Amino acid sequence: MSAGDPTTRLGPLPITGYSVLSALGGTRQQHLDALAAGRTGLGPAPFELPFATSVGAVREPLPDLPPALAAWTTRLSRMLAHLIAGLDEPLRRARARWRPERIGVLLGTSTAGAESTERAYREFVRVGSFPNGYDFLKQHTFGAPLHVVAALTGARGPAWMVSTACTSGAKPLASAWRLIHAGVIDAAIVGGADTLCTMTLHGFQSLQALDQQPCRPFHKDRLGISIGEGGALLLLERTGDGRVRLESVGETSDAYHISAPHPEGHGAEAAMRQALQFAGIGPGEIDHVNAHGTGTKLNDTAEAKAIGRVFAHPLPVVSTKCYTGHTLAAAGAIEAVFAAMAIEEGFLPPALCSEPRDPDVLLHVPTSRTTGTFRRVLSNSFAFGGNNVSVLLGAS
Amino acid sequence: MRFPRVAILGVGMWQPTFPSSQHWLAGTPDETALKPLGLALDRVNRRRAGQLGRALADVTAEAIAMAKVDGSTVATIVGSAIGEAATMIGLLDQMWRHQQPMSPADFTVSVHNAASGLISIANKNRGMTTSIAADENTPAAALMEAIGLVVTTDQPVLLACADEPAPENLAGQAPPWAMLASAMVLGPAGRTPQLGELVVAHGPTATLRPERFAPLAVANPQIGLAWLVDAVLRGHSGIVPLDAGTGRGFVAELTAAPR
Repeated sequence: MSAGDPTTRLGPLPITGYSVLSALGGTRQQHLDALAAGRTGLGPAPFELPFATSVGAVREPLPDLPPALAAWTTRLSRMLAHLIAGLDEPLRRARARWRPERIGVLLGTSTAGAESTERAYREFVRVGSFPNGYDFLKQHTFGAPLHVVAALTGARGPAWMVSTACTSGAKPLASAWRLIHAGVIDAAIVGGADTLCTMTLHGFQSLQALDQQPCRPFHKDRLGISIGEGGALLLLERTGDGRVRLESVGETSDAYHISAPHPEGHGAEAAMRQALQFAGIGPGEIDHVNAHGTGTKLNDTAEAKAIGRVFAHPLPVVSTKCYTGHTLAAAGAIEAVFAAMAIEEGFLPPALCSEPRDPDVLLHVPTSRTTGTFRRVLSNSFAFGGNNVSVLLGAS
Repeated sequence: MRFPRVAILGVGMWQPTFPSSQHWLAGTPDETALKPLGLALDRVNRRRAGQLGRALADVTAEAIAMAKVDGSTVATIVGSAIGEAATMIGLLDQMWRHQQPMSPADFTVSVHNAASGLISIANKNRGMTTSIAADENTPAAALMEAIGLVVTTDQPVLLACADEPAPENLAGQAPPWAMLASAMVLGPAGRTPQLGELVVAHGPTATLRPERFAPLAVANPQIGLAWLVDAVLRGHSGIVPLDAGTGRGFVAELTAAPR
């Protein structure tokens, strides 16, 4: 047995609510409509950049924080406030069932308040002082948004921010799954959020990882990612009514390279196999994979090899990054919500810009809307540091 | 709030002039050890790693060796409040102060999980690794995440917490602190040779608060894990605070192993 293998299989947990925010909109219905219509949210960046790229910018008006939390105001915390409002009803029910200290807040971000620090630091470089109102500890740190979420939701349980780059939004599902099964908490608000940042865009440009066009996962001429922003929150409970449940999460490392995936996708394969093992099911019981599918040469080829080795049957594989952009730390949470929607609504969005397909990608990548029954769905997320997560959701 | 009891199998520590827990316990500073060496990393990745990554590599290597666990399989949790903020400020300087193209190498190690990634590469560890933050509550959070793993997998778990000083340019925005890194290997309670056992809880009043740390160490958001490691090293039993009074007040109820 390797580290991370549960000796006793942990059972599924109901997802009793979720909310989502991305370039596709600020409500579940807006996301369903866009995914069903094959309508991308990618477009020009809302700020000036010295290079061409498409981004998935959130265009929803974001709520102001209450006066008592005003010092914590950042774009990220306002996005989280929007998501909490969208989770109001299930949160109200959870608060009636569980004590506040038995409700955890386990989230993911890679940018945290970097967008605020960028603006403040640019001012510092220009005039030698930080702008009034900028507070490093309340706006920059990874822990600062936790204060906002706890205050807005009344949750008083364990709270931490996972920051494992592009798997950050998926890993909190695993943390909550363990803590609930360990008997420490009864419910958890999980998910992730990230904002567009100049630094992130310049960084991926420096790696030559940005496509000038909207990203084209699995396309033969794909040239890289389109960065997006947004977030999703899911409410996970020990018991409760939910049409979808978290069945398991696989978590592995490549131990290969700090920023490049293993070219054969061994870590990705291990994460998917671990998720299946933890749930006690075989590959044949998976109906769909929401791929990490960033649109980079390396990622998509490695992931396609990994999926091809795990699944003998031609299950539909779609990357939704062509809709939202790569929302980095939010991706794992947003795509877990998309996986839940596939189970609930019985359709998969068409893969956009994936044809002509890379001949090395030997997967079924449907380019038209696919309807059917999707009882179990895997959602993959991979990250810098060789970090791999595969989230398995199933119908209740 | 009480978490299940777990065993402590190994510890590690790094702070300026005390490059290991044994230097700290012996009270013998090494005046040449002003920066962590990151000797557990291979040469290429040591060059990539900043001070934070090197310190975390050093303390995790010490804890793994003391616990005699397999570094290639042990689940690994890294905690840091501000992570690679210094690297980020360096990138912002490249963009705006020096008007230079951004260094791709610097960008790839600007993520919070750069250290956990480098440590997994050094240990050839293809298991679970994560990187978390919760301001002054990071030590408590790392312990909670570790205990969740120990209880549900019945396997040992490595955790390490560190913060380097906040970037100098932000010094006016944040209180100064010195680099501090600590690590611990936890395992299932009651079965294996151990240094002691602990229960993380919220509510009890702390009875142990090691006084030996310098004020610049106490100001570090990760002081709670260092206090716990210090108490373990000295064979103390009691209730150790996991933050310096600015966090949520989590504690570790520590029971030393008989010696």
